[in-house]
Amino acid sequence: MTSDIATMRNIGISAHIDSGKTTLTERILFYCKKIHRIHEVKGKDGVGATMDHMELERERGITITSAATYVAWGDHSINIIDTPGHVDFTIEVERALRVLDGAVLVLCSVGGVQSQTITVDRQLKRYDVPRIAFINKCDRVGANPVKVKDQLVEKLGHNAVLMQMPIGLEDQHRGVVDLVALKALYFDGPDGEIIRVEEIPAELAAEAKARRVELIDAVSMFSDRLLEAALENRVTEDLIREAVRKGTISRKLTPVFMGSAYKNKGVQPLLDGVVRYLPCPADIENWALDKETEGQKIPLRTDDDAPIVALAFKLEDGPYGQLTYIRIYQGHLEKGDEIVNARSGQKAKVGRLVRMHADSMEDIARAGAGDIVALFGIDCASGDTFAAPGLSLAMTSIYVPEPVISLAIAPVDKKAQDRIAKALNRFTKEDPTFRTHVDPESHQTIIQGMGELHLDVYVERMKREYKAEVSTGMPQVAYRETITRRIEFDYTHKKQTGGAGQFGRVIGVLEPLPGGSFEFVNKVKGGRIPNEFIPACQKGFQSVLRKGELTGFPVVGVKIILTDGAAHDVDSSDMAFQAAAQGAFREVYRKAKPQILEPIMKVSVEGPSEFAGNIFASINQRRGIIVSSVEDGIFARVDAEVPLSEMFGYSTTLRSLTQGKAEFTMEFLKYGRVPAAKAEELVAQYEEKRRQDASK
Amino acid sequence: MTVQTEFARRSPIRDMERHIHGGLGKGNLGVLASPKGVGKTACLVHIATDKLFQDKPVIHVSYASRVDYIITWYEDIFREIAGAMAAEPPLEVHDEVVKNRVIMNFKQEGTRTEQVLKSLESMITMGRFAADTVIIDGYDFSLSRPEDLVKFREFAGRLGLEIWFSASLRGEGPLWNASGTPFILEDFLPAIDVLITLRAEPDHVRLRVVKDRDYPAAGVLPLKLDPKTLLIA
Repeated sequence: MTSDIATMRNIGISAHIDSGKTTLTERILFYCKKIHRIHEVKGKDGVGATMDHMELERERGITITSAATYVAWGDHSINIIDTPGHVDFTIEVERALRVLDGAVLVLCSVGGVQSQTITVDRQLKRYDVPRIAFINKCDRVGANPVKVKDQLVEKLGHNAVLMQMPIGLEDQHRGVVDLVALKALYFDGPDGEIIRVEEIPAELAAEAKARRVELIDAVSMFSDRLLEAALENRVTEDLIREAVRKGTISRKLTPVFMGSAYKNKGVQPLLDGVVRYLPCPADIENWALDKETEGQKIPLRTDDDAPIVALAFKLEDGPYGQLTYIRIYQGHLEKGDEIVNARSGQKAKVGRLVRMHADSMEDIARAGAGDIVALFGIDCASGDTFAAPGLSLAMTSIYVPEPVISLAIAPVDKKAQDRIAKALNRFTKEDPTFRTHVDPESHQTIIQGMGELHLDVYVERMKREYKAEVSTGMPQVAYRETITRRIEFDYTHKKQTGGAGQFGRVIGVLEPLPGGSFEFVNKVKGGRIPNEFIPACQKGFQSVLRKGELTGFPVVGVKIILTDGAAHDVDSSDMAFQAAAQGAFREVYRKAKPQILEPIMKVSVEGPSEFAGNIFASINQRRGIIVSSVEDGIFARVDAEVPLSEMFGYSTTLRSLTQGKAEFTMEFLKYGRVPAAKAEELVAQYEEKRRQDASK
Repeated sequence: MTVQTEFARRSPIRDMERHIHGGLGKGNLGVLASPKGVGKTACLVHIATDKLFQDKPVIHVSYASRVDYIITWYEDIFREIAGAMAAEPPLEVHDEVVKNRVIMNFKQEGTRTEQVLKSLESMITMGRFAADTVIIDGYDFSLSRPEDLVKFREFAGRLGLEIWFSASLRGEGPLWNASGTPFILEDFLPAIDVLITLRAEPDHVRLRVVKDRDYPAAGVLPLKLDPKTLLIA
């Protein structure tokens, strides 16, 4: 391993919204001398934080896209990806975690483990990412970092261990005690840039010693040398750090740091923690799949001299063309090198190679194994693997959740029309959870995404970045239909009067397929339906499933078993059997007791306990089922299952019910049955729409 | 007969209820007491699941465990009950049963009884959750006072609920007095209507009724808790 790789860290900063990630990243850039002034996230000084480089991010005070930046801390190089906390932007977090080696989990010292923390933690576990925790905002009223550490244990099941303790909290927060070195750290200077190391204040000495013993107890399981040293009373700082690093990289330990990024406290020790305890690229096993041996796992070597294997994880369309962010897992890249897209087979030559800062870039000649850089002028999709010519490898693809909400958009004028197409083309390439299509009946342009905020942001971006103003319809929920009863069918499609005839008879069974989408089974014997027409039967059934009779939405959960039929020597054809299949389905569908399904969301609401009753009521009013509530005396978190159709406008309602002190997140959970009254309403709406379309 | 009513009819909880004069009854408090790990939570979840099969909503209050652990308990017991009945309940039965259950998790230290009762009442009134029974698991009687239990009993009476508690008995020495009442519950006894203790025996756990309102207590029951299936049988 080259020393470059050993001193490299690729990390993400992940957390719940408003826990201070972007402020923290801003401070990191400042202390690593990447920027020369600190700007607040919500622009108190009129300029937004450096990492939130989109105007919209600055305005709303939220992070939208994941920006990448490179910093140097001591003799270590760190690639940092600042990722959004809101669940509507999960794809950005998924992408970042796929390519990073470690993460900093940021928590608020008052709010602690919140609903989005749980989602992010699940994502970290999915991609086996080691993490350290930073308990931020220790200057806030109600700050309690020890309680938050306990929540990491109780709510997330982490083996969390304090590496520090606070020197004062709330407006008395002055610094932290380093429990490994048993020293007090204070942050002097106008921006906390000067670290003053002192003896621990007398009133904290006993607690510090006790907590250090707890730390050693907790981490000695990762190091026999530390265990022996502890028994013999000769523990050193190096032994503790070595054990903490082993525990963290194995994902069996979460070291916990603390401070206040806003008040410039605790950030530099966190950076020390990143380089000491998070892995370098060579510490992590990475795998690719061999396409020639049907997906056999092949280990990759974090070695500059091995053949190149890299993953494109983010695309950005800018004024100079497409910028492709890549992570190099194996080998190195230089300008002029030839690489092959494993999905399309297309060859490409590496033109410009750049290292990214948030919104500015630095040209480089070469990038090595473990590095994260960007390429210009390479045509590809997010999730594509690039490899050396002759290598038949592909990285596993990034998990992409299905969209749950759609919206019809219409240009306000002709100019907007042309620009919309360009905007949508770019956005869909950048973000696989954002999709668009034209409805074949209404000819409306439909956009689909992960939530109201997700689509709101793209509508706003169309206006600002492409000057394409659109009007939007009501958000449309993606309903489904399904059958609940087994029914037999026997249908003949016959047209034998004048001209070429058509004949096809299909006999079989339609039955529910719980949890599935569609299954077609052919049990026709003796060639009663010639084999050549069986695919046409399947195609016929599939085509009619695309649009259910009750609502026009797709039919799912159906198994069709074809058992018998009949054909005519002359008049049978693919078209005839497709028509027979469609006719058979339409004839028996209603007898199979079809039902309408709607997306059910997992909703998590958090707020002060005093508003728990209002939160319960708000969920009940939305046909929601409360699954659980957790109260710790100050805050309540309520988890519920609520139909998506009932969630529109919930953020406004919740704000008014809780004086703006509660927030919620939601993600798709499952499809559930629509109640009878609602189903009747949907059927009536669809029938009215069909009547109107027919009269046009 | 639906699957649910069949399960309810055949449930051994019916036998348990016969030995406590028809069941706990609305407005009353019941306590299941035993040393740690003997099977109190399993019993409570079995009682709760039995209620759910009768279409009676249950609030499960936990002071001890994470919500996902409690959900796992219910899933395990549901599966065991289905297995014991040699029946495969359809997914709809499971979903219907789960809809009638809400889990509320509190920290006993730092949360007063009034706060807990306020939240429970909010769930029932504002959340429109028409609870029939409240199960309270992990309540530490050593951190509580008899007045607190009186408050729970008043609450049960006012809202027409049955409330079952679990009580963990700790310590090296004798845990119960000559009449079988756990020492830790002696001061709370006036507010407890039904008290059942669980004692571990070689291959099962024996249930014993120590108090049954003003009736003579039934004593050791012919029912036991199977530690493998976690069911009362």
